[in-house]
Amino acid sequence: MALPKRQTDIGPPKYDQFIPPVIKKNYGKWKYHEVLSGGTMVHVAESGDALYTVRAASPRILSTETIREICDLAEKYCDGYLRFTTRNNVEFLVSDKSKMDPLLKELQERKFSVGGIGPRISNIVHTQGWVHCHSACTDASGLVKAIMDEVYDYFTTKELPNKVRLAVACCVNMCGAVHCSDIAVVAVHRKVPTIKHELVTKVCEIPTTIASCPTSAIRPNPKDKSVTINEEKCMYCGNCFTVCPPIDIHKPEEDGVAIVVGGKIGSLRTSPKFSKLAIPFFYNEPPRWPKVVAAIKNILDVYAKNAKKHERVGEWIERVGWEEFFNLTGIEFTFQHIDDFTFARDTFRTSAAFKYSR
Amino acid sequence: METAELQDKIFAYMEKMKGKKKLKEKDVIKALAEETSEAPDTVKKALRGMIDVGRLMYSYGGGASSVEIPSEEYLREKGLIK
Amino acid sequence: MSGKYKTPMLDELEKGPWPSFVTEIKKAAKKSSMADDELGQLEKSYVTKRGYWKHGGIVGVLGYGGGVIGRYSSLPDEFPGIAHFHTVRINQTSGFFYTAKALKEICDIWDKYGSGLTNMHGSTGDLVLLGTKTESLEAIFAEYSSRGWDLGSSGSAMRTPSCCVGPGRCEWSNIDTLDITYNLTQEFQDEMHRPSFPYKFKIKTAGCAVDCVAAIARADLSIIGTWKGNIQIDQAEVKKYAGAGMNIQAEIIEMCPTSCMSYNNGEIKIDDAQCSRCMHCIAKMTKALRSGKEKGATLLVGSKAPIVVGSLLSWVIVPFIKVEAPYTELKTLIRSMIEWWDDTAKPRERIGEVLEIKGLRPFLEHIGVPPQPQQVKEPRKDPFFFWAESDFKR
Repeated sequence: MALPKRQTDIGPPKYDQFIPPVIKKNYGKWKYHEVLSGGTMVHVAESGDALYTVRAASPRILSTETIREICDLAEKYCDGYLRFTTRNNVEFLVSDKSKMDPLLKELQERKFSVGGIGPRISNIVHTQGWVHCHSACTDASGLVKAIMDEVYDYFTTKELPNKVRLAVACCVNMCGAVHCSDIAVVAVHRKVPTIKHELVTKVCEIPTTIASCPTSAIRPNPKDKSVTINEEKCMYCGNCFTVCPPIDIHKPEEDGVAIVVGGKIGSLRTSPKFSKLAIPFFYNEPPRWPKVVAAIKNILDVYAKNAKKHERVGEWIERVGWEEFFNLTGIEFTFQHIDDFTFARDTFRTSAAFKYSR
Repeated sequence: METAELQDKIFAYMEKMKGKKKLKEKDVIKALAEETSEAPDTVKKALRGMIDVGRLMYSYGGGASSVEIPSEEYLREKGLIK
Repeated sequence: MSGKYKTPMLDELEKGPWPSFVTEIKKAAKKSSMADDELGQLEKSYVTKRGYWKHGGIVGVLGYGGGVIGRYSSLPDEFPGIAHFHTVRINQTSGFFYTAKALKEICDIWDKYGSGLTNMHGSTGDLVLLGTKTESLEAIFAEYSSRGWDLGSSGSAMRTPSCCVGPGRCEWSNIDTLDITYNLTQEFQDEMHRPSFPYKFKIKTAGCAVDCVAAIARADLSIIGTWKGNIQIDQAEVKKYAGAGMNIQAEIIEMCPTSCMSYNNGEIKIDDAQCSRCMHCIAKMTKALRSGKEKGATLLVGSKAPIVVGSLLSWVIVPFIKVEAPYTELKTLIRSMIEWWDDTAKPRERIGEVLEIKGLRPFLEHIGVPPQPQQVKEPRKDPFFFWAESDFKR
């Protein structure tokens, strides 16, 4: 069968083909919006026109079958117009208010989860994990499913002091936004990699491999035409594995995940913040990682109880102090919590004023 | 220099370097601009011409993109040889 | 085709209210033996706690060096359907807007050549098609590109620019994020498809400092909309918020980071010269407060995830720039930034890392931006500073 003629460097179709007439008419002229429920909102334009949005959860991995189901709903209730959010949810763009209730009813019947708008949890940004990544040391999708099942009410209805952005990264490459999330899970290695010397000789560039190490732990090994790793310097980042795959960083029985907290990206009130270490390690416990899920629920509950209205997790912790965060959550403080890498000296306490451990 | 001649020189350089170092596009452009005194943009255009017809190809490994002489497998897959 | 494998571990992840990715893979597996083998291998990963993927090699269609990511099962004999299971990235639309018709067409092509599995969308923004064979790549490209869809990016190249919903549906947006992103995506097609950079380069555009696209944390160049001039206040709406029970003193005035607001006799006053445009008050009182009338953007550079020497947030480089079509000044500036990085970086160094090593001065001089207090939180503490010849003129 003859294929159509390819075109190169055309880029994506222009967005204006895909926006509903109400957006075209009121483009850039929106006046305000109101959150109507955990998963619905209305945007009102200066002209008085209104656009209703229904947000539904997606597991990020979508089959074409489910995408078609979403498309059918969009055709039925919003003239085929829909969009996705940066956090992988789907949004139905409804111009006709009378179609809202029937759409919500059908979404419920079809077991879609509507939510994620306002001071709530709006899905978990995450990575490919064991589903499709060579460097994963946990499964992102499984963790996301287990966590979201547990905190489901905070997606659909229940409110928090402010929005809480969750993320899961299946290794320290962090293809998700773990480094600036309110609460996030990142998979970590804890052992020096194993070197398959014969393969290193065959497939790797030795100088590039040596240069890839941030702690200068890798040295040449002329005897094996390979490299050696100084075990005392290695901090298991796995960058050498990316550059030279025969340096195997995976140790399934010793790999697992850490939990970091307190990051944010918006500049509202306080500057954007990096997430910081809360819990250094949990073993991988597929299929549902119960200890990780319980730990996140605990942090979330303590935040919900103690933060002031509009405070993000990181703002709350900075107000009460990190030592108080460990008091309130009951999380054990360990050697791993004390930074000994690039930003270490900025993190040591230089004041005699602090709160005691209880 | 005629484009064909420049492309032959690029190919000769790629053959010489094969197995020694993974070459990024920029490495090739720099080396050939020096060797031939052609402008880097001219070399880049000639190089792109070779990649467009499968005489050279982009590859990825070790966390970075590079330019290589295509394998037979690649050429067969692209329908450039039988 | 489905049902080849028993998956007791994964079946546990079909329980509970949140939509299940396992159910999605099973749906695809009804039609695709690739998806079925994906399911089988994933179950094995859940038992052994490790992944079985290799990557590299294949990077695209003839002439391109990005947009396809080679992925291979390391257990091809056990799971032959995923011996090849490459990712195809497609340039997403600005703001992720689609019509059902367009999405269905994307699905039809993907069902013909791939596993039927997708990500809507990948972390960087591309529409991601998960799992196809090498021999299908040229056909996939011909089918999509002939219908107006192009490949995304991978490798040492520009990534498809990404943005928030902007003026499409947000009253806070100070700039036309959708149009900027569409224009930059078109401008840099060559840089996206033919990897010639030291490493990846991401551009994200947010309409305001709320930054719904995480531009400040996840983009080498973060374009964030902002304004000059006074915040516009509708005092009648202020009264309505108070009437509806908002504690304006506690929730707005006392949470203002610069203490530039006051609330007396039911009216809000703002000392705009002291406002840092953080968006807190506007976001909480969207009916009463609107940003100032002169619109533009702040350009920040350098953010990235922690590999290798720690995460970076983007740094302010240009405090205020007008960004209006056809965006000539912005495009020229971006090309100048990339040129400096490309000439200075070692392989696999992001622009933020190079800036940290080389310092801001050579970069600012190259792109023609003067030093300004807005670029730092505080001036240097140490007495060690460089002097250039040009600094000695009396």
